[in-house]
Amino acid sequence: MTTIARTWGKTFSYAIRAVCFVHIVHNHVYEFTETRGESMLPTLAATNDYVHAIKKYKDGRGCQIGDCIVAVKPSDPDHRVCKRITGMPGDIILVDPSMKSKVFGSETVGNEKLHLPEDPIGCSEDYDESFDSYIKVPKGHVWVTGDNLSHSLDSRTYNALPMGLIKGKIVAANDFNEPFWGGSKGNFWGFRKIENIYVDEK
Amino acid sequence: MWQPLRSLLGDMSRSYGLRLSLVTLSWVPVVMTFNDDICYIARVDGSSMRPTLNPDESASSTDWVLLWKFHSSKAQCLNRDDVVLFKSPLDPSKTYCKRIKAVQYDSVLTRHPYPKEVVQVPRNHIWVEGDNVFHSVDSNNFGPISNGLVIGRVVKVIWPPSRWGADLKLATGRHDILTAKSD
Repeated sequence: MTTIARTWGKTFSYAIRAVCFVHIVHNHVYEFTETRGESMLPTLAATNDYVHAIKKYKDGRGCQIGDCIVAVKPSDPDHRVCKRITGMPGDIILVDPSMKSKVFGSETVGNEKLHLPEDPIGCSEDYDESFDSYIKVPKGHVWVTGDNLSHSLDSRTYNALPMGLIKGKIVAANDFNEPFWGGSKGNFWGFRKIENIYVDEK
Repeated sequence: MWQPLRSLLGDMSRSYGLRLSLVTLSWVPVVMTFNDDICYIARVDGSSMRPTLNPDESASSTDWVLLWKFHSSKAQCLNRDDVVLFKSPLDPSKTYCKRIKAVQYDSVLTRHPYPKEVVQVPRNHIWVEGDNVFHSVDSNNFGPISNGLVIGRVVKVIWPPSRWGADLKLATGRHDILTAKSD
């Protein structure tokens, strides 16, 4: 009887240590996780794409304009979003010239349908006015947008994102629709690096 | 061929010190997980929560508080008049300790630096202010903050011993700042 109890106790203690180890690595070092949603097309597919995130960039440490990041959604801390940084603190951003057209789909991040506010910033304003609406990104915040601008819920709706919500930077992705070796996107399950695509026009 | 390896492994399993240090090392992630996600002891600096925390002027009496972190960013766990620690929205490396004055969908009467007189707190955001109203950098400076920035809720003052059982609702800052409640 005692030997059975001891075996169970040992298994349990090993399990706890292993789970906590994985959890700590996921939180502070590296995470490999699934992404869903159309907002990052064509960089990331809507389904079956897995990303490699480096947690060294937590809290926006060392993040630059053009980086792909994972962050907690400001309007819903249970969900995480994957976006690209398109404005750093102090930058002046043209909010969105296309705001006039009310083409706002509902995006699915995780498994919840999101409801958009009645009137996203500047929606009811004149067309000319939406061309003129600029925002200065505050200290400690970044401006994030999805790569698929017409189907993304991002800073244009929930305003600048506090850096404290950034959980990591995405450096690479795998596509599990691809074969194990020699797919069209790259070797090893469509492995490809996700790079900073920012072009400084100055 | 295997003899040296076998004897080495035998030595390792017999070496009590090595075994002990490996076992200790394997528990480090468990402790870290506990501190990250469940419970933590934090020091509160500054005068913005006076008189509730750090009531004396002298620098020797810095309060240490017990912080409950589990599910702390869930909207149903954040109530009005709770004291919380959160990452500063202006500088993520800083941590602020303030009192929640309003939760999501509440309407708040703001104070001087804020540009609007009345503001509605958005979904999954909170309005935070210090008890020491005039020496506090709070939501009146940076606006409502996302629940995701909350690190944990202050449960108890645990150090210094003379402050055990201190009332966390001794003073609650400004009164009657809600013009409409969400519920």
